[in-house]
Amino acid sequence: MRIGAYRNTARALAISALAAASLSAQESYALADGQVFLSTYCQACHQGKSGAAGFRIEDIQTIESFETEASDWGKVVTRVSNGAMPPQNAPAPELDARERFTQWANESLHTAACSLGITAGRRSIRRLNRDEYAATIRDLFDLQIDVAGLLPVDGAGGEGFDNAAETLFLSPLHSEKYIEVAKLTVDFASKEFKSRQKIFVAEPGPGKSPEQAAREILAAFLPRAYRRPVAQSEVESYVQLFEAATKQGNDFEPAILFAIRSVLVSPRFLFHYEPPNSSSAKQLLDQYSIANRLSYFLWGGLPDELLMDIAAKGRLHDPEVLRPLIQVMLRNDRALTFAERFVEQWLRTRQLEDDKAPDAELFPSYQIDEELRSDIRLQPVFFFQHVFKANLSLLSFLDSDSTIITGTLAQHFGLKFELQQSKDPRWMELPAGSNRGGLLGMPAVLAVSSYPYRTSPVLRGAWILDSILGTPPPPPPPNVPALEQSNRAKPSTVRELLTQHRENPVCASCHARIDPLGFALENYDSIGRWRDNQGGTDLDSSAQLSDGTAFHGPEGIRAALLERKDLFIRNLTRKMLGYALGRGLTLRDSCTVDEIVAKVKQNDYSALTLIEEVALSTPFLYQEGSTP
Amino acid sequence: MNILRKQTLSRRTLLRGAGAALGLPWLEAMATAAPEVDKGPVRMAMLYMPNGVNVAKWKPEGVGRDFTLSPTLEPLAKVKDSVTVLSNLWNEQSKDGDGHYVKEAAILTCARIKKTQGADIRNEVSMDQLAAKRAGDQTPLPSLELGITPVAVGNDAAVGYTRIYGSHISWSTPTTPLARELNPRSVYERLFRAASGPQGNEAKMDALLLDRVLDDANKLRKEVGSADKVRLDEYLSVMRSLEERVDRANSGQQRPWKPRFEIDPAGAPTDRPTTHEEHVRLMLDMIAVAFQSDTTRISTFMFGNSVSNVNFRWLEGVSAGHHDVSHHGKNDSKLEQYYLINRWHIAQYAYLLEKLGGMREGESTVLDNSMILFGSALSDGDQHNPHHLPLVLGGKGGKRINSGQHLVYTEDSQVSDLFVSMLDAFGTPVERFADSSGPLPGLLNS
Repeated sequence: MRIGAYRNTARALAISALAAASLSAQESYALADGQVFLSTYCQACHQGKSGAAGFRIEDIQTIESFETEASDWGKVVTRVSNGAMPPQNAPAPELDARERFTQWANESLHTAACSLGITAGRRSIRRLNRDEYAATIRDLFDLQIDVAGLLPVDGAGGEGFDNAAETLFLSPLHSEKYIEVAKLTVDFASKEFKSRQKIFVAEPGPGKSPEQAAREILAAFLPRAYRRPVAQSEVESYVQLFEAATKQGNDFEPAILFAIRSVLVSPRFLFHYEPPNSSSAKQLLDQYSIANRLSYFLWGGLPDELLMDIAAKGRLHDPEVLRPLIQVMLRNDRALTFAERFVEQWLRTRQLEDDKAPDAELFPSYQIDEELRSDIRLQPVFFFQHVFKANLSLLSFLDSDSTIITGTLAQHFGLKFELQQSKDPRWMELPAGSNRGGLLGMPAVLAVSSYPYRTSPVLRGAWILDSILGTPPPPPPPNVPALEQSNRAKPSTVRELLTQHRENPVCASCHARIDPLGFALENYDSIGRWRDNQGGTDLDSSAQLSDGTAFHGPEGIRAALLERKDLFIRNLTRKMLGYALGRGLTLRDSCTVDEIVAKVKQNDYSALTLIEEVALSTPFLYQEGSTP
Repeated sequence: MNILRKQTLSRRTLLRGAGAALGLPWLEAMATAAPEVDKGPVRMAMLYMPNGVNVAKWKPEGVGRDFTLSPTLEPLAKVKDSVTVLSNLWNEQSKDGDGHYVKEAAILTCARIKKTQGADIRNEVSMDQLAAKRAGDQTPLPSLELGITPVAVGNDAAVGYTRIYGSHISWSTPTTPLARELNPRSVYERLFRAASGPQGNEAKMDALLLDRVLDDANKLRKEVGSADKVRLDEYLSVMRSLEERVDRANSGQQRPWKPRFEIDPAGAPTDRPTTHEEHVRLMLDMIAVAFQSDTTRISTFMFGNSVSNVNFRWLEGVSAGHHDVSHHGKNDSKLEQYYLINRWHIAQYAYLLEKLGGMREGESTVLDNSMILFGSALSDGDQHNPHHLPLVLGGKGGKRINSGQHLVYTEDSQVSDLFVSMLDAFGTPVERFADSSGPLPGLLNS
């Protein structure tokens, strides 16, 4: 299914992705239809001077209003698509009418926004999140400690990642922890040979006063800690701090270590500082900002000397330099950090540690076998890493002939492989009919989209719509009457229960979309093992979408998803751009997403193209002009 | 210096009356601000339970002093005289938007949160932080935010809210949710460090360090655009509050009220609780330690995040997760499990109240001097019902609360009125809080 070029923006439109019926008529939807919708369902409250919530439909009656009143339109689309508007007890449109309206409005918004050209967008100053902080400490001191667990957990914003500038808050707890962790780090570093070499590049002695040695040490350390060249005055201010510490009775070494731990609490260390653009036009970021963006995107930590050298030569924005550099970076082991952070949040498999941990009593093997647990968690991470390192097709995520295998996983799958003794995960070709290709064959994915104690076709279906296709189903409407169960046969299977559920038209409109996707995966249990029956009853993994498409089992759903690959690619592109930028995307960014998606398609869905085009995109390399 | 900001003698009145006031010896001038010798200061906590309650098993029978604990509340039997059950309150600002996030994030702010996936988060200051701003400098830590589960991963794209809303009830500014500690051992160590103060010349070194980085921040602030200034202001604010604490330590000033309990550094709990129940108990122990040692007087605790589906199969009679059974669909088995989970939460609450009740403080106990609010941000989870919030207030708030009652209010009375009363009993009175109309009648004596 293709939806007019790649003009489909955002979520609301995509909700209808699996409801083919509503799409065919879309071509004919026009401004007049949109106005009829607004006057029928919105006008009663939202008109005139005292329009409810300060919103009046008179303001959005022209095609131009998609440009001038984009913010109002955005709210209308969100509220109508997720059912918040019209409010309860007011006449409400059928789902089909709702979607036709929001799809049209979204396309119009998108067209209007892109007619203004590609923009860099604004990212506010971004704090190191706790994973970045821990990696930076590790890189800075060449110190194998993980201090992440000592810092508060960061929440997610933007495209669902915990590196979004707008949601990296600072609590009083942070300030205490930063001071403590800095002290702990420096204590550790002062006892490690490799770390000491990084720190003590000079020492006082004949011909070199303690102050001179301190100056040399700090002049070398500060630019590494701040990830950019540092003014002499900044070095001096820390030399003064060193001197103040000696006045307090500290010897040379404790005084230097004190100055160094102070650097680790400075905002110039804790924030990703990018010199602001004072002109009104967008401009190329400074080279060191680019080096940092690249390094924290693909390695999750400090830029290395090579990156800083290229930055010093002023070549980092040059595609001829960037493209091969990106390949080198992806081949580096440090790219595993990128894979882990991106995948575990995109697929939400991080939750396998918390609410989604499979029940210990029902799944003792998972509970007991630490190797199985970690192999399950890491399979999608290594898979992702391999796809990018080997530049495979992004469609491998939907279906693949090979996957990441370990001895433990092979056993879990009941499959035989020619494995060496090594326990390392390997990229292996799957036997025919293994049902283990792509993300949907992975236990991590199958577990995180289940309850810890049973599978749920609803959760799995909703997970696919959200994480894979980027088209999350709207929330259930409030006050759905409970199912009356007295005068009907008690359902004996989840399928029967859900079938009864869908007899309620209010539920059916969405569940007809959600449930079938989950039914097709019922042959996998909560920890992703294959099963042919459940409690003695044969499992039925046949399913039918609301457009009549019938499919069966994992193979069927993979084929169905491949038919919707454009939705998947767009979703993955949005996620990747949001992660790389460390901020949420705006309507204007959807035009950048369009460009990247087009390039990826031209290059046969090449994984490398996705990363290259993200890194070469305007929002990644440029900064917005400042508004006076 | 900070003690000057108390209500009886504010810094401003002091400066206004300059000469005369400054001539007074310190502690004499402060005597009226310090609590009575024998009575400990008032403490305040909120324990938040996600997902609402099985309504039929929640509401007690009878009104006023003559009431019977409901099956869910039955674990409170031993401390019945010290609790007040509050019926028919609601938080009007959270009535629509979605089923969970708007309710949970606003339970202590009584504000209408902004619908966003993160770009422009907006709530209001929560009542605990309002109190912390005004009284937090009387204790080593202004407040203590605790939880069990990390911030939920990602955005809830289906409803259009970032899960950050569902993981924070304490907000120090409209745009700053407060990070929570989840590890009991690190809480204990933090309490110990805060209570014992800096050792040796640590305070002097910390002061040097903070001075340096605050200077860096001020310089950086001049370089960045206005949007980024907000973030740097956040940095300046948390670092300055730390600086104030260090200043207090350096001044060697005595605190007006001295707790009878000192934290034993050898008493630190495990950092790896093996069960959910153990984890919860240890976190509640930390509130008790913090309150008894007067390391802080304000705390919030989240049993789980909004929409929490903590697996409760280990609890006898339960075969599913919390959010799962809260959508009971009037199914008898799920309703029973829902009730058992609610009751388990109340039993943990009772554990804390009993523990505080056992901590003597002169003539009274820490419980007598506390207000420990237990509640959820919705009633029937299946309906996401914002009416009839399930709320219990434990303790006597320093003899201010008429406890041992079931207070039944007019349908849909504002929960913000409760907060006006609590802030009064805490010693940080306000005329109004959010959409309140005044204090909650019948709760406080005098």
